[in-house]
Amino acid sequence: MFESLKALSVVAWRSIWRNRRRTIITLSSIILGVTLVMVLVCLGEGVYVKLVNEAIRLQGGHVTVMHAGYLDAPSADLFILNTGKLRGRIAILPGVERTKGLVMGQGLVKTATGGVGSLVMGVEPDAELAASPLPGKITAGKYLSGNGGAQAVIGSAMAERLKLRVGSKFVVAVNDSRGEMVEELCRVRGIFSLGSDEMDGYLIQVPAGFARRLYGLPGDALTYLGVVLRDGDSRHEVARLISRMPEAAGAAVLPWEKVLPDVASYIRLDRTQNYVFQAILIFLVLFTIFNTILMSVLEREREFGVLLALGTTPARLRAQIFLEALYLNLAGVAGGLLLGGLLVWHYQVHGFDISSMTSAEMSISGFSMDKVLHPRLTAGILGIVGGSVFSATVLLSLYPAWNSAKIKIAEVLR
Amino acid sequence: MSERQVVKLTRVTKDYGEGAGIVHALRGIDLELGSGDFAALAGPSGSGKSTLLNIIGGLDRCSSGSIEFEGQAIGSLSGGALSLLRKERIGFIFQAYNLIPVLTAYENAEYVLLLKGVLPAERKARISALFAEVGLEGLEDRFPRELSGGQQQRVAIVRAIAPAPALVLADEPTANVDSATGGALMDLMAKLNREKGVTFLFSTHDPMVMERARRRIRLKDGVIEGDTR
Repeated sequence: MFESLKALSVVAWRSIWRNRRRTIITLSSIILGVTLVMVLVCLGEGVYVKLVNEAIRLQGGHVTVMHAGYLDAPSADLFILNTGKLRGRIAILPGVERTKGLVMGQGLVKTATGGVGSLVMGVEPDAELAASPLPGKITAGKYLSGNGGAQAVIGSAMAERLKLRVGSKFVVAVNDSRGEMVEELCRVRGIFSLGSDEMDGYLIQVPAGFARRLYGLPGDALTYLGVVLRDGDSRHEVARLISRMPEAAGAAVLPWEKVLPDVASYIRLDRTQNYVFQAILIFLVLFTIFNTILMSVLEREREFGVLLALGTTPARLRAQIFLEALYLNLAGVAGGLLLGGLLVWHYQVHGFDISSMTSAEMSISGFSMDKVLHPRLTAGILGIVGGSVFSATVLLSLYPAWNSAKIKIAEVLR
Repeated sequence: MSERQVVKLTRVTKDYGEGAGIVHALRGIDLELGSGDFAALAGPSGSGKSTLLNIIGGLDRCSSGSIEFEGQAIGSLSGGALSLLRKERIGFIFQAYNLIPVLTAYENAEYVLLLKGVLPAERKARISALFAEVGLEGLEDRFPRELSGGQQQRVAIVRAIAPAPALVLADEPTANVDSATGGALMDLMAKLNREKGVTFLFSTHDPMVMERARRRIRLKDGVIEGDTR
């Protein structure tokens, strides 16, 4: 039995090399296809992870606790209170990196030059310094410090438009939680550049204490209690645990997709487009393999006739063809995963710089994208790409394998 | 010479096509081959020689009539059962040698023995002896493309007789080799027939093959015209 199987595999292995050029072309196609799919998937995932990471760290974290009505109709008077105990309990949940409080509202930033509408984000500077990408994007001046001063960091586009510099004063006007118009004088402490005109022209950050004063909120009121996780994949589980806490009763506990629906939609759409493109690539790879196996079967009908005449069973002949496809498939997929893995690893370490391909600012839903992409390789991607190409090829090879033994021996030997 | 019946055909016909285009390749063949026969099947092209060999070898099915192989009716056997019969009891030698190009001479000869589950030592002993007998010593590791036509046909002969079949069917085995090689191949098969008792049935156009056969069956238009010993 073992001898017979060994002979079968020897015939199959040697058979795929009888037309060396065709086999090399086929293998190259599989390797190239798998490599390309892998690199594209990993680049996409890298972009998504970075985008999500930056967006959630800038805003409400992987999981956000907020007033139950805030998401439907954001307003300064929809806030949560007494969050100290809740924060303490959340902080000890497994996987939680830190919590951050935000006080959010709309406002108008005015100077002698003019005024612009803005998103006023009251932050806890220490938490932001540890969790948010924004402090690292300060291009002039310094980031916020302390919790109550009338200081702000503003975006570079807003600074340019209102001719503001570090140390300049401006007025921030808001409608407070009672609907009263409130104005406060504020000084520019720093200017940031997130790389997105939308954010750089619209967002200002002020200390949370100042924001509460501005909006007339009580001492520990927060619009968002953000929870930053070490591994974002655990967000649903963490959200479930928080929502069961009595301190979170009545509040909405939401994963980032609900808080940043534009980003989530973009990722879904982009991922779908990528899947379609990758499916086309995989289809081309599969077509190449199918074509090779089918051609190899059709041009060897006489040989198959001889094998059947000698007493080879149809099942054994089919197994031989199936093995040939399997060898090609295994070699191609393994080669593709190896080459793709090496390329992804290289770009993971050194980055894939696309700045020469586009000079335009790249942002998604106001969150800027780095022009040096870092792909993300996971065991899941390796498994899905390798597994899908491998399984589809195995399935496709069944047809030529099945057909190989359906020949009329007398006719092909004539 | 014949001791027991290997093949018996009774009123075997084979038609190709249908309606007005029907071709009657065999028209009521009655034929018996006994153990140890060394028979040549001669006739012009289109007389039905290859068709008859294919039907006897279970490579094709007759349109009517009955075929017995060692007393067993094979007309109604399934494809799998015919496969088994060919593997166990019938050897084939083809005009174009038809060795498996990716296997060496030794592996080609070994192929059917592997299918039959013959143990490695036994395989080696049988093939080595036959290679020595047919003058292929030292060529075991060569691939078919590295062998001459005569050498390839010798490998095909070893492949056919190594499993000790009851019958070897040879379709114009000397057609693709020169006359000297053809003569040598016939001598070889005659020797194997004599010494090992292998039954041979050849189809041929070659007068030299006819001369060396001990039984001559003449076929014309699908009918046996003569059967002389």
